Amino acid sequence: MRAYIFRRLAQSVLVVWAVTTIMFFMFRVMPADPTAILLERGLTDEARQALLEQWGLTGSLWDQYIAYLGNILTGDFGSSFLYRKPVWEVLTPLIINTLWIAVPGLLLGAALGAAIGTAVGWAKRGGKLERSGIFLATIIRGVPNFVIGIALLTIFSSTLGWFPSFGMGDPGETTGFARYMTLDFLHHLALPLIAVIIYFMPENLLLMRSGVVENRTEDYIELVRAKGVPQRRVAWHAARNSMLPLITWLFPALAETIAGIVVIEIVFSWPGVGRELVLAVTRQDYPLAQAAFFLLAVMIVIANLAADLIYGKLDPRVVYK
Amino acid sequence: MVAVASPRFGQRPASPATLAELEKLTERLARKPAAHLLVDGLSIGYSTLRGRFHAVEDVSFEVPAGTNLGLVGESGCGKSTVVKTLMGLQPEATQVSGRALLDGQNILGLDETALRDVRWKRMSLITQSAMNSLDPVYCIGDQISEAILAHEPVSKATAWARAEQMFALVGLPAGRLYEFPHMFSGGMRQRAVIAMALALNAGLLLADEPTTALDPIMQSQIMTRIRGIHAHLRCSMILVTHDIAVVAETCENIVVMYAGKVAESGPTAEVLESPLHPYTMGLKNAFPRLPERGAPRQPLISIPGVVPNLLLPPAGCRFASRCPFATEVCHRVTPPVVQVGAQRAACHHTDRAAEFRVAAARPETWRTMRGAV
Repeated sequence: MRAYIFRRLAQSVLVVWAVTTIMFFMFRVMPADPTAILLERGLTDEARQALLEQWGLTGSLWDQYIAYLGNILTGDFGSSFLYRKPVWEVLTPLIINTLWIAVPGLLLGAALGAAIGTAVGWAKRGGKLERSGIFLATIIRGVPNFVIGIALLTIFSSTLGWFPSFGMGDPGETTGFARYMTLDFLHHLALPLIAVIIYFMPENLLLMRSGVVENRTEDYIELVRAKGVPQRRVAWHAARNSMLPLITWLFPALAETIAGIVVIEIVFSWPGVGRELVLAVTRQDYPLAQAAFFLLAVMIVIANLAADLIYGKLDPRVVYK
Repeated sequence: MVAVASPRFGQRPASPATLAELEKLTERLARKPAAHLLVDGLSIGYSTLRGRFHAVEDVSFEVPAGTNLGLVGESGCGKSTVVKTLMGLQPEATQVSGRALLDGQNILGLDETALRDVRWKRMSLITQSAMNSLDPVYCIGDQISEAILAHEPVSKATAWARAEQMFALVGLPAGRLYEFPHMFSGGMRQRAVIAMALALNAGLLLADEPTTALDPIMQSQIMTRIRGIHAHLRCSMILVTHDIAVVAETCENIVVMYAGKVAESGPTAEVLESPLHPYTMGLKNAFPRLPERGAPRQPLISIPGVVPNLLLPPAGCRFASRCPFATEVCHRVTPPVVQVGAQRAACHHTDRAAEFRVAAARPETWRTMRGAV
C-alpha cells in the first residue's frame, strides 16, 4: 500500500512536469505579442524591450525554460503582466471564490445524482418515476451549461427577482473570511451553485441508475430480499455496488467539469479562477495562465490518485501492488 | 469460547453483556418449533410477449413439521420457481394462485411488510448459486449479522457472536467472518450461505439446489453437513435437487415434478421402490446404481425427447410425447391424480404400473421412442 502510494506520487510528479513543459512551449509558439495589450497606452520600442526583459521573455527558448522550471520548483510563478502583481496574489482570492461554487456544487451534484439515480433505478421498470427521471436527466445533460445558467438567470433573477444576477456581493464592506459569512454572499452564491449542481447531476444520476438496474437482478440482491430486511436496505445494497463504476468515472470527469464551471463563472460574472484563466489566455498573460493551468493539472492528478485510493476502500476486491 | 476475532486487533473476548444476550438469543431461537407447510393448488404464471403461460400448475404437497421433502425434476420443470414463490421472490407481475399455509397462515400474496416477518424468521433459504449470492462488498460476518439484526432486537456484537456460532456449526473458523466473499472458495461460500440460513433457526429451510455449483466431493461434504445440521436442529426442509440419490438419503417424502406439474409424490422409499408414474421410472433409470455382486451392470437409460413448450402445452398428459407406454387417452385427457397407498401419481395407467416397471428397466423400451416432441 505504501509502496503503491509512493509510486503513484512519483508518477504524478512526472505528469505535472510534463504538463508544465507542454504549457510553457505552447504559450511560446503562439504567434502573439504579450506586450500588445499595453501598446495602446503608447509604449515606445525601448520601453517594450525593457518590459520583455523584465518579464524574462528575452534570450533563447531553452534558457527561458530552464529559468521557468527553476522558478516553479521554488514556487515562484512570476508576476502577472497585466496586474503587475505576483501571480499567487492575484489567484488566491479567485481560487477561494471558485472553491465556493465548485466544492459544494460537485459534492451535492454527485450526492444528489447518486441518490436520485438509485431511486430511479430501483423504481418499477417502465414506471412513471423511471421514465420521467431518465427523460429529465437526458434533457439536462444534452443542454449546454450556459443555457442552464441563462435559464436560471431569466427565471429567478429577471422574472421573479429572487436572486441577484451577477457578481459575488457588494465589495469592500468587510474583508477576509468574514466576507463569505454574510447573507448577501450566500444570496449571490445560490444561483451559480445551483447551476453547477444541475450541470453535474444528470451524468451521476444516469450512471447510478444503470448500475442499480444492473445490480437489482443479481443473485445477491435476491438473498438480501429473502433475509427480510426493509426495502430501503435492499436498495442500499444495489446502490453500494453501483458506486464502484460511478467513482471510476467521477474523478476523471472532474477535469471536464471544471471546464464547465468556467462557463458558469462567466455567465454569472462570478470572479473565479476559471473566468480569470480565460481572460489571461486572451490577454497573453503567460505567468497567470501558466499558474492557473498548473493548478488545474495538480488538482486533476490529485483527484485521480484519490479516486484510486477511494476505490480500494469501496471495493474489497481491489489490491494495491 | 465465544470471542470477537479481528484481524486488526487480534482476538478479544466478548463482553459479559454480549455473552448474556447471546445466551438469551440462543435459548429463544432454540425454542422455535419446526414449521408445517401445506401447499395447495399452487399455480405460477407469467405474461410474456408470446402469451401467458404457467411455469407451475396446480402443485400440491405437504411438509409435516420436522420432516424433509425432496423436490426433484429436470431443469426447467418449475421446482426452483416453487421455492422462490414461497419466499415471495417471484418477479413482479407474476400471477400466483393457490395457497401455501405455513403453520396455517397463507404466505402467498402477503405484502412486503408482512412478508418481512416471514422471511428468515420462519422460513429461510439456501440459494442455488452461492458463488453469486453474497454481496461482494460486505464481509461475510456483516451479511450474516444483517439477517439477525433485521429480526432480533440484539446488539451488533451479539449478532456477530451468533454468526460465529453458525460458522462453527458449518465448520468455518470464526476469524474468516471478517473476510469478503471473493476470499472464499466455492465450498466455503456455500457453507457461509448455509450458516446464514441457520442464523435464526427458522422453522422451515428451503434448500434450492445447494450443491449444484460444486464438485462431487464437495457436494457430498455439503450434503453430509446439511443432514447433520438438520438432525441437530430438527427443522423442516424442502430440498430442491435433480439428484434423486441425495433425496433417497435425506428426505422422508419426495415430489417429482415434470413440466410444471407434479408427476408423482409420496414417501421417498415407496416412490423410488415402486414408482407409479413412467416419468419417475425413467428418472430412476437415469441415475447410476452400484451393481450387486455378480449381477450384470445396469446401463444408464436416458429419456428421449425434450420437455414440451409450456407456452403451448400439449393436451392430455404432458409426459405423453416422451412416454413409452402412452395410449390414445394420454394425448387427449389430462390425467387424474390417483392415490395408491401413500403415493399419488398423475397418470391414466397407474393400474398397470407393475407391468410398466418391468418394461421400463429394459433399455429397448425407451429406445423405441423417437422423434417425439
